[in-house]
Amino acid sequence: MRAVEGRPLDERELVLRARRGDGSAFADLVRMHQQTAYRLAYLIAGTDAEDALQEGVLKAWRALGRFRPGAAFRPWLLRIVANEARNRRRAAGRRAALELRAARAGVSGDAAPSPETDAVAAAERARLLDALEALPDEARLVLACRYLLDLSEAETAAALGVRRGTVKSRTSRALDRLREAYGDA
Amino acid sequence: MPELERTLRALELAWPETPDVAGRLELAPRRRRRRLALAAAACAAAAVAAAFAVPQSRSAILRVLHLGGVSVVRVGTLPAAEERPLASGLGTPVGAAEAARFLGRPFLPPGRRRLYLNDGFVSTLLPGPVLLTEFGEPYLLKKIAGATGAEPVEVAPGVPGLWLGARHVVVFPGAPPRLAGDVLVWADGHVTYRLEAPSLGRDEAVRLARRILGTAAG
Repeated sequence: MRAVEGRPLDERELVLRARRGDGSAFADLVRMHQQTAYRLAYLIAGTDAEDALQEGVLKAWRALGRFRPGAAFRPWLLRIVANEARNRRRAAGRRAALELRAARAGVSGDAAPSPETDAVAAAERARLLDALEALPDEARLVLACRYLLDLSEAETAAALGVRRGTVKSRTSRALDRLREAYGDA
Repeated sequence: MPELERTLRALELAWPETPDVAGRLELAPRRRRRRLALAAAACAAAAVAAAFAVPQSRSAILRVLHLGGVSVVRVGTLPAAEERPLASGLGTPVGAAEAARFLGRPFLPPGRRRLYLNDGFVSTLLPGPVLLTEFGEPYLLKKIAGATGAEPVEVAPGVPGLWLGARHVVVFPGAPPRLAGDVLVWADGHVTYRLEAPSLGRDEAVRLARRILGTAAG
């Protein structure tokens, strides 16, 4: 991020600049959130995620005049990118698939497990991901947004185009289904 | 936090690498809609909601350039596309009033000519032949091979344009991608113009664009 008098610009300043037509400030904003936005698009549209992110970002640039100053930028960007990803998924006529693998390193906080422990943990992670993958679209996406991307309820609501209350109830039901499938009751 | 939620949150996943879209952006300045003295009629924004099917970019995207409603995407390898005549797939014939409704102002240059409408894109064939397309909100996505580029030009004072002299692929809504070349695009106010003129060079295309813009007063 660029700095002014040694101080990095905060998001609010970047938004103000971008709204005045500063493409560089907008690029800085995108850079701050593109990883989350890309992963969200990947959860929804799979291999079309890069196209979805790119088109979503361009749409956001064009729509920036309608962005409410003072509002949070990330949920707004996520909503646009997620819409683009959904459009692509619909056009491709396929179900969203996680297509994710657990990283070999495993769960955060593990302290140098033995190869045997690591193998067991890896198998458990794979089983959990399989159980998540087997959930219906709605349930899988809400859990992925909340726990894999660590989005807030408000951000998840923006990304999925539903109300915050819906996120809450959908998350609760999805966790129940996952517990049932994964056997962690 | 219950165990299952904690386990989900702690999963480290092998996500695909995030593409640096921010680093590839070359955004033309977003200009505030201004009232042009020469185009007093051009005041209402066209709200054209066109669904836009864009082929997947299977090759690495090198750079994205945005001007008006045009996205120019440089890729390593052009996607498959057909060679088709300029007159193909222009849409359905439409009257000047209907075209103006979509554009938010009359089609330029004015006069009696055949206009065609395709998902918010209004086109006409000028002598040459030259294909002139004008549109409001939707995007027009082009893909250009990595070895070529889009050359910035100034169509008129304060009116930026891009000259795409090399072969590229253009994607209009509802039509398969097709090969194009010798294209000038520019944006004025909320309307984006695209001039495809295989028989004209860059300079002649820019002169024609100026003449088209100059007819706004008439």
